[in-house]
Amino acid sequence: MIGAAPNARTSDAPAAAAPPLLDLPRRPSPLAELWRFRQLIALLVVRELKVRYKRSLLGMLWTMLNPLLLMVVYTVVFTTILPAAMANFSIFLLAGLLPWLYFSTALMQGLMSVLVNQELVRKIRVPQAVFPLSVVGSNLVNFTLSLVPLFLVMLALRQPFTTALLFLPAAAVILTLFCAGVTLLFATATVFFRDVRHLTEVALQMLLYLSPVLYDLKQFGEHRTWWFSLFRLELKLNPLSYLIPLVRDPVYYGRFPALPTVGIALACALGALAGGFAVFTRLEPRHIHHL
Amino acid sequence: MRPGQIILQDVGIRYRIYREKVSTLKEAVANRFRHLRTAEMFWALRHVSLEIAAGDAIALVGHNGSGKSTLLKTIAGVLQPSEGAVAAQGRISPMIELGAGFDGELSGRDNVYLNGALLGFSRKQMESKFQRIVDFSELGDFIDLPVKNYSSGMYARLGFAIAQDVEPDILIVDEVLAVGDERFQEKCKRRIQDFRTAGVTFVFVSHSLQTALELCPRAAVLHHGRLAFDGPTEAAWDRYRELERGPAPGPVFQA
Repeated sequence: MIGAAPNARTSDAPAAAAPPLLDLPRRPSPLAELWRFRQLIALLVVRELKVRYKRSLLGMLWTMLNPLLLMVVYTVVFTTILPAAMANFSIFLLAGLLPWLYFSTALMQGLMSVLVNQELVRKIRVPQAVFPLSVVGSNLVNFTLSLVPLFLVMLALRQPFTTALLFLPAAAVILTLFCAGVTLLFATATVFFRDVRHLTEVALQMLLYLSPVLYDLKQFGEHRTWWFSLFRLELKLNPLSYLIPLVRDPVYYGRFPALPTVGIALACALGALAGGFAVFTRLEPRHIHHL
Repeated sequence: MRPGQIILQDVGIRYRIYREKVSTLKEAVANRFRHLRTAEMFWALRHVSLEIAAGDAIALVGHNGSGKSTLLKTIAGVLQPSEGAVAAQGRISPMIELGAGFDGELSGRDNVYLNGALLGFSRKQMESKFQRIVDFSELGDFIDLPVKNYSSGMYARLGFAIAQDVEPDILIVDEVLAVGDERFQEKCKRRIQDFRTAGVTFVFVSHSLQTALELCPRAAVLHHGRLAFDGPTEAAWDRYRELERGPAPGPVFQA
């Protein structure tokens, strides 16, 4: 372990300037540190799942039931309010809700993860990124599990199974990278400002309606109002507009997502991850003073 | 540097003391982030230089709030110095608090693996240690119960059993020997003596002269974040007593 003050602003300079530590090995890069602790991430994922499902009667089944119940609610609401929705609307909804729930749940749980594990952070030197990342990992498990009820509903409603479904693992990878990046960023922000959590909660509720989860832009005809162009612009800039089709296109439309969509989604995911990880590891040494 | 060697050069750890606690964005914006500029600085440690050779043992002595625990955390890498530099080479077994990182809902068995991973061990490595850890802890079949059902003695025993089996180069102990019954305490002390003969560097916080003399020939006295003495344990104890009799200046704040 090597540590040196990153920017030692010495207001009153030490009596004698210490000689530089010449022959000290350099501190390993944050990425190498994280790699060394990869098994810890796996164990934390297992811990999270074990603790979450320990005392509940239906255990893992809840993971699968949750999106189904939401789907039922939204289907009933939308098909009664908007009778001419679309064929197999429940599957359309479910295919949008699954990636959305993955993202929003991972974010809401993950942004608290450094605070929740503060007893550890105070006492053991461990790359703190393992905490938000393990939350994303356990939500990836949930996302994968929730594909089971999706397939059951597809069977029940005679939705065709196409080869495009082979894209789903790739979709899961891209979604995971994106969730990891955003969660890292919000986890460090929450350490400094606790109300990031409440802001995010509200923001996510709005984002649900500002993202193509419950609808698809294709559903709307041509509107030439200014607010509609604004809405269009927002959807163009919203990363979720590229991430959600990664699941919905194979599941509902039975086709591979378009290459530009995949490209933009991947770029957003990698950008979020690089940015989130850089900010997180940069602020990480200061976390302990704000816990 | 050799594994087990510890060097601290002019180390300072600065805490910000916020007179007005600002932890919401609204307050921060309303004050235009003034709290960031007006925070008072509290140096928990200042100008501390220490060299501990591989295989050496040192006791840290000082009043409450003198910076002993801060120093341990700095050596362990939990805290990064605000100024100066710290280097500690090799694997550190942190007994800053026994059982730190235990999850009450999980069984003792799961916690052994979780704690091992927190210290950077793989599952395979922990598997080969597992039986020894259970034997040392004397927990027997209790190992499969959730640790929240453990007594505090059992909890500490399992914590020590894990920490003593991680083949450390540096052993950091923060008064954890005050836990468990007398027999188990003796067992822990013997284990630490084994480490000492095996050449493990040993840093120890103690309020008991007796234990310090038993385990460390050398002691450092911390007084309000400064290194007041570094030398033979008995002389260090005299210095400590002398400082404690003097007027207590109280914590020093700096704007």
